[in-house]
Amino acid sequence: MALTDTRPDTGTDPSVAPSVVPSPLTIFGTGDHKAIGIAYVLAGAVFGMAGLIAAALASLHQIGSRSFLSASVGDQLSQVSGIGLILLVIVPMFLGLGTYLVPLQVGASTVAFPRAAAAAMWTWLLSSGVFIVSICIDGGFDGGREKSVSLTLLALGGLIVALLLGTVCVLTTAITLRTPGMTLDRVPMFTFSMLVGGSIWLLTLPVMLANLLLIWSDHRYGGAQSFASIGVQFGQVGWITHEPQVYAFLVPGLGIVADVVATLTGARLAHRNVLLVAVGAFGVLSVGAWAQPAIYPSFDEDFLWQAMGIVMLVPLLLLLGGIATALRSGKPSLKSPLGLAVVSVVLTALAVVAGALLVITPLELRSTSMFANGQYLLIIAAALAAVAAGLGYWGPKMTGGQSADGLGKLNVLVLLGGGVLGGVSLCVVGFATRFSGLSGSHDTLLVVSAIGAVLLALGIVLAILGLASGTRKGAPEAGDDPWGSGQTLEWACPSPPPTGNFGDLAVVRSPEPLLDEEASA
Amino acid sequence: MSAHVLPPAPPVQRPRVLVVGSAFASAAVFMVFIGLIGIYLTARADVIGSGSAWLPKGSTIPLQQPNTMFITLLMSAVTLQWAVSAIAKNDRVNAYLALGLTLMLGLATIVMTTYLWHLMKLDVASGIQGVLIYTITGAHLVMLVLAMVFVALMALRALGGQFTALQHDGLTAAAVFWYAMVAVYALIWISIYVTK
Repeated sequence: MALTDTRPDTGTDPSVAPSVVPSPLTIFGTGDHKAIGIAYVLAGAVFGMAGLIAAALASLHQIGSRSFLSASVGDQLSQVSGIGLILLVIVPMFLGLGTYLVPLQVGASTVAFPRAAAAAMWTWLLSSGVFIVSICIDGGFDGGREKSVSLTLLALGGLIVALLLGTVCVLTTAITLRTPGMTLDRVPMFTFSMLVGGSIWLLTLPVMLANLLLIWSDHRYGGAQSFASIGVQFGQVGWITHEPQVYAFLVPGLGIVADVVATLTGARLAHRNVLLVAVGAFGVLSVGAWAQPAIYPSFDEDFLWQAMGIVMLVPLLLLLGGIATALRSGKPSLKSPLGLAVVSVVLTALAVVAGALLVITPLELRSTSMFANGQYLLIIAAALAAVAAGLGYWGPKMTGGQSADGLGKLNVLVLLGGGVLGGVSLCVVGFATRFSGLSGSHDTLLVVSAIGAVLLALGIVLAILGLASGTRKGAPEAGDDPWGSGQTLEWACPSPPPTGNFGDLAVVRSPEPLLDEEASA
Repeated sequence: MSAHVLPPAPPVQRPRVLVVGSAFASAAVFMVFIGLIGIYLTARADVIGSGSAWLPKGSTIPLQQPNTMFITLLMSAVTLQWAVSAIAKNDRVNAYLALGLTLMLGLATIVMTTYLWHLMKLDVASGIQGVLIYTITGAHLVMLVLAMVFVALMALRALGGQFTALQHDGLTAAAVFWYAMVAVYALIWISIYVTK
C-alpha cells in the first residue's frame, strides 16, 4: 500500500487528541458518535431485559384458562413486547453499533450530522420512556384511557422518527464520508449490512408511521370509528413483527457475523461478493410493508408473500456457505465473539426455515399465532446473539481494555439455549393444530418458552457485563488491534478511539486494508 | 531498469453530505405518503366495491383548487431550480428573487389548501373518508411547511453570504426536499382529487 498517498486534512493526530471513554457525563450533551452509540446500546439493553421479561409473562399468560394475568394486561404485554423488542431494543442496538462503528470502518472522523445523531438518540430515549409510561397508565393499543392511548401513539411516532433520523445519519456517513479508495464493494461487511438494513428501515418504518398517523387522527378527531376502533389498532402496526418485514431487523446482524468470522479466522473472506449478494438479497426479501393484515387480509394467500418466505432460503444458504468456507479455510480462534456469531447464524437459519414452513398453506401453521410468535422470538434471539457478538468483538475497541472472554463463552450457551427454548418451543406449539399428540404438552411448552425468554434477558446482562469487563481494574490494554488479525480500518485507530478517530489514512485498495498493509510491510 | 512510480492519489472529492442526507430524509417522508395513499386507495376500492359512493353525501372535492395548487407547486419547483442555478453562477440578485418567489408560492399553496378544506364540507368524523383525506392532505401541508422552513433557512444563509458558486450544497439539499414535496403532491392530486 502506498503510504504516501495520504488524504489531506483528515481527522486529528491521535497522539495529540484525547481518547473518549463514554460516561454519563460525556454522553450528556455530546455530538460524539462513540458516546451516542454506547448510549443506544446501554439503553437498548435495559429495555431488552424488560421486554423479554414481558414476553415471558405473556407466554405464561397463554397457559390453561389464561388466568395468570388479567385479559387486558396479558394482551397489552404481548403487543408491547412484540413492538417494543423491535423499536426499543433490536433496531436501537444495531443503530448504536452503527453510529459507533460505521464512521470508524469507513475511515471518517465523525458521523454525518453529529448533532442530528445526538438529537435522534435523545428523542428515541425520551419517546421510549413516554411509551413505557403510557402503557403503565392504561394506554397502549385499545387501552382504556383515551389520553394515554394518544400518548402511546405519539411516543411510537417519536420512536420511529428518531430511529429514522439516526439511520439517515449512519447511511449518509457510509455513502459520503468513506476514505479515498473505499468503494461501496470494499466497505466492511457490517457497514454494508447497515446500508442494506438501514435502507429497508428507511423504506418501511415510514409506512408504520403512516398507520400510526391514521390511528391517531381517527382516535383524536374521527370518533374512533375506523382506524382507531377497539380491536383493530394493533393489527395495523403488528405487521412489523411478522414475516417478511421482521427479517429486516436482522440484516445488520449478518454483517456483524461476517466481520467477526473474517477477523477471528484470520483470513480474507473467500467469497466476499457472494456474502454481499446474500446480505442484499436478505434485505430485499424482507420488505414487508405491503403485507398488512388489516389492509390486505388475504395477503397470506398471495403468491408473492409465499414465494418470499421460500426464496429467503437462498440468501440463507449463500450466507451459510460463505461462513462455512471462511471457517474451513482460515484458522478459527476459539474466542467468544466467534461462538456468538455462530449462535446467531444457527438461530437465523432456524428462523428462516420456520418462515419457509409458515408460508406452506397445507401445514396450517397460520391457524394460530403460536408458530409465527416462535419464529419472531427466534429472530429476536438471533439479533441479540449478533449484538452480543458485536459487543464482544468491538468491546475492546470501545473500552480500551480486553474483555473477560469467560463471560462471553457462558453467553454462547445462554443465548443458544434461550433462542432454542424460547422460539422452537412456540413453533412446536404451533404444530399442535396438526398433530393431536402435541396438544397435551401445550402448557409445558409455553413454560419452556418463558424460560427461554428469561435466558435471553440473562444473555443481554452477560453481554453488557462482558463489555464492562474491559473497563475493570487490571484489564489488559487492548491496543489498536486486540485480535492481532484485524482487517478493517477500525483496528487502525487507538482503543478507545480519540476525538477525530484517525490521523492520515492511506488510500484503500481492497476490502481488507490492514491485511494489505501487513503484506506490503 | 524503470523506476516504480506510485499511482497518484485520487482527487479528494467534496462530500455532499447535506444533499445525500436530504435525499434519504426525502425518501423516508415519501414512503409515509406511499403508505397513506396505499391505504387510501384500498379503502376507497372497498367502499366503491360495496356499491356505495366514496364521498359522503353533501361532501364534494372541486378540481379547480387542486389544479391551481398543482400548477403553483410546479412553478415553485421551477423558481427553486432557478435559485439553485443562479447561486451556481454567483448571481445573487436572481437567487434572492427566486427564493422569495418560491416561498410566496409555498404560502399560496397553504392558503389554497385551507380554502379547499373549507369548500369540501367534509367532517373528519364523517367516517373513514374524512380521516384519510384530512390525514393525507394535512401531512402534506406539514411537509410543505417543513420544506418552506428549510428553504427559508438556506435563503438566510445565502443572504449571509455562506453559499458560493462552488459550495451551495445547503440550497441544493433544500431543493431536493422541495422536489420530493411536489412529487408527493402529484400523487395526492391524481389519487385523491382527480380520481374519486
